[in-house]
Amino acid sequence: MSRRTLYLRQRLETIKERTLFEINVSQELPNWEKIVITWVALFIFWIVISGNTRTENIIMGAIATLITASFMKDLLTDDIRYRGHLIEKILSFAFLHAPQYIFIMIFRLIESNFKVAKHALLMDINPGIVKIKTNLHSDTGITILANSITLTPGTLTIDVDKKLGEAYLYVHWIDVKTLNRDKAGEMIKGDLEEWLKKIFW
Amino acid sequence: MIEYLLLTLGVLIMIFGAIGILRFPDVYTRLHAATKCDTGGAMNILLALAISIEAPLLTKLKLLVLAFLIALINPMISHAIARGAYKSGIKPQTPVVDMYAWDNP
Repeated sequence: MSRRTLYLRQRLETIKERTLFEINVSQELPNWEKIVITWVALFIFWIVISGNTRTENIIMGAIATLITASFMKDLLTDDIRYRGHLIEKILSFAFLHAPQYIFIMIFRLIESNFKVAKHALLMDINPGIVKIKTNLHSDTGITILANSITLTPGTLTIDVDKKLGEAYLYVHWIDVKTLNRDKAGEMIKGDLEEWLKKIFW
Repeated sequence: MIEYLLLTLGVLIMIFGAIGILRFPDVYTRLHAATKCDTGGAMNILLALAISIEAPLLTKLKLLVLAFLIALINPMISHAIARGAYKSGIKPQTPVVDMYAWDNP
């Protein structure tokens, strides 16, 4: 290839990276929302782990988790892109999105257990490693997607490849049905990616 | 009643996982049996314990936190074992396709 096309391609890649970065920054949560979300998560964890509900324990926990949350506000919430008011966010996550995800994953997990039992008894395996593309960009989103893929029937994530703003997953599939990348991605990911794109970018 | 059902289901899933570990041919297919059956069986047993135990609500919630941590950590460990096995040169036996070897020669 000539030098000019190489130059044009490099320009195109820098522009693409730049727009991705702009989208990322423009949808970021403000600082106080980050602190409040981290505080709620840590406070629930404090109450469940400490295990007593006396008043001084709860006040002590509120102060300690608020101090911790103001330092560690980027740890949990750096990749969250979620529209709407803060209370709407917390309520819709606690009563709409988290039960939806748990409902999907419980049935997938039971189905995958029965499928492993069937494969172990009949030995009708047909293994292979396929490569699928994902539309998520953030580290947290890709991590949760890979963990969910490992728990869904017949698949096991081996590696993640991130380059040029696109992420690819290498998946060990115990019963390979198709080699087409889009069809395989649709069969492996299902509706988990749609769910994750509502919260992470 | 339902806790005995969940306990039986968990133990059966664990037994089938053990059979799968013994019968599958190579590392990656054995990891399938280990990861999924351990996660499902342990979560079923913990759920049965959380229903049947005679304790205040917060103790039951602690068992559910334990189930959540198992579901979070188990796939991560299996991913680490599979990637480490591939990097150290253990190839899958009789694969249909191996796209990971195409991209990392």
